[in-house]
This record gives sequence, structure tokens and C-alpha cells, in this order.
Amino acid sequence: MKPMPKTLKALTWFTVAMFVAALYMVFIYAPREAVMGDVQRVFYFHVSSLWVGMLAFLITAVAGGIFLASGKHSWDQVALASVEIGVVFTLGGTIAGAVWARPIWNTWWTWDPRLVTTTIMELIYVAYLMLRQGIDDPDRRARFAAVYGIVGAISVPITFLSIRLYRSIHPVVVGSGDPTATGSFDMTTRMTQAFMFSLLTFTFVYGSLLWHRLRLQRLNEKVELLKIKLLSD
Amino acid sequence: MFFDTGPADTFNYMLLGYAVILVPIALLILSIFTRFRQLKRDLVMLEEMDA
Repeated sequence: MKPMPKTLKALTWFTVAMFVAALYMVFIYAPREAVMGDVQRVFYFHVSSLWVGMLAFLITAVAGGIFLASGKHSWDQVALASVEIGVVFTLGGTIAGAVWARPIWNTWWTWDPRLVTTTIMELIYVAYLMLRQGIDDPDRRARFAAVYGIVGAISVPITFLSIRLYRSIHPVVVGSGDPTATGSFDMTTRMTQAFMFSLLTFTFVYGSLLWHRLRLQRLNEKVELLKIKLLSD
Repeated sequence: MFFDTGPADTFNYMLLGYAVILVPIALLILSIFTRFRQLKRDLVMLEEMDA
């Protein structure tokens, strides 16, 4: 296995630095919200986590499509790596949303369109991972997963647009939303800066993790091929 | 002045919220690192057997 590329090392350290800066902006630079108090600060990483989740699932669909078109298994590896990251970030973001909801909506959970569609999206991609485990043949597994990943990606725009299409208690960050939404707040300049920086940081986190996870996948395949070779000798 | 109660005390919820975001990410990083290390060990062993 080749040593870690210098670009990846630089990217990793740069991402760590950005993350530290994001923590500073979120906890110190951004002011405390006047009504909700400190729990509002969860917003910065809550939205960023779910952004990474949606981005990851869209990348999975694109990678799956390229795999189906080209037949190159490296794209299947990208799809798998992206789903694994997306599932983790979506889970964290969803539960963080519930933690924020408890003091603001006075409930951990409500059958709101945004919450329901996000959960469905998460479960779709958990099932993606389970589907892959159930198929032994690598070619068949990659093809099934690619088709599933593409179809499953329909859940991403549905989740994003749910608060704009349906009556929802969930606040809308960009644009105007339902006036009955609870938990909305006007962002100050510093809050907006912290929010944008968090989004950018999490995008870099996703990119770094994807590259590392891909290297892991390639090492795994190398080990598997060597095992097969030794068994056949 | 008498009715200004200030922002709600939600500090503990903030801590919990960040914990549920950061812990899974940390576990994912740890998982990638651990799996990588194990596979490298496997690769070295297999290459010795193949030699």
C-alpha cells in the first residue's frame, strides 16, 4: 500500500485547523441567541451534519451512475465510502435536532415532514449497507447498490424541500418558511459567518473522510485479492 | 426591566447536542483508523506467506 499522499496529509491537517476554527466561531465568536440561549448553537453543526449527509447520498448516486456507465469498480468504492460517511453524519444531525427540539418544541420528536423525511432518508441508506452485505458476487453487488443508491437519492430533494412544500414546525434557514414554525431566529452577521464557516468546514471534513475511507477500501480489496491468490495456490 | 428574564438556560442541551454530533464522527474516524491498521497487518502477513 502506498504511503499517504502528501495532498491528503495537507488536506487532513487543513481540515483539522478549520474544525478548530469552526469550534471557536460557534462557541465564542457567534453571540448567544436572545431567546433560546445556548442550545441555539447546536444549529451550526446540526445543519452542517445534515448537509454532509445529503451531499454524501447525492455523491453516492452520481458514483453509482458512473459505475453503471463505465463498469469501473473504483466508482462503486466511492459510492460505498460516501454512504458510510453520510449515514453517520445524518444520524448525528438528526439526533442533535431532537436535542435542540426538546427545550424549544417541548418534545424530543414530532411527526413533522422534515423529521420524517430525514429519518426515511437515513433508513434508506442504512438499508443500502445491509443490501451490500447480503450479496456475495462483487459485480452483482455493485450493480444492485448503484441502482439502489440512485433511486434512494430521490429522498434527498424530498427531504430538503419538505419544509417548503408542506406545513412544518421546522424553521427554514434559507428563504421564507411557514410563519407557524417554532425555533426560527434572525441571524446576526456573526451567526451567519459562523454558520457559513461551519458548512464549509464540514464539507472539507467530508472530503477528507471520503479520501481516507477510499484508501481503506482499496487496501481491503488488495488484501482480499491476495487471500484469494494464496487460497488458489 | 422587571419582565426581562433573558435567554433560556439551555447550556446542558447544547453540550448534549454537540456530543451526539461529535461522538459518531469520532467513532467513524476511529473505525477507519483501526480497520486500516488491521488491514496493513494482514497485508504484511499475507505478503510474507506469498513470498
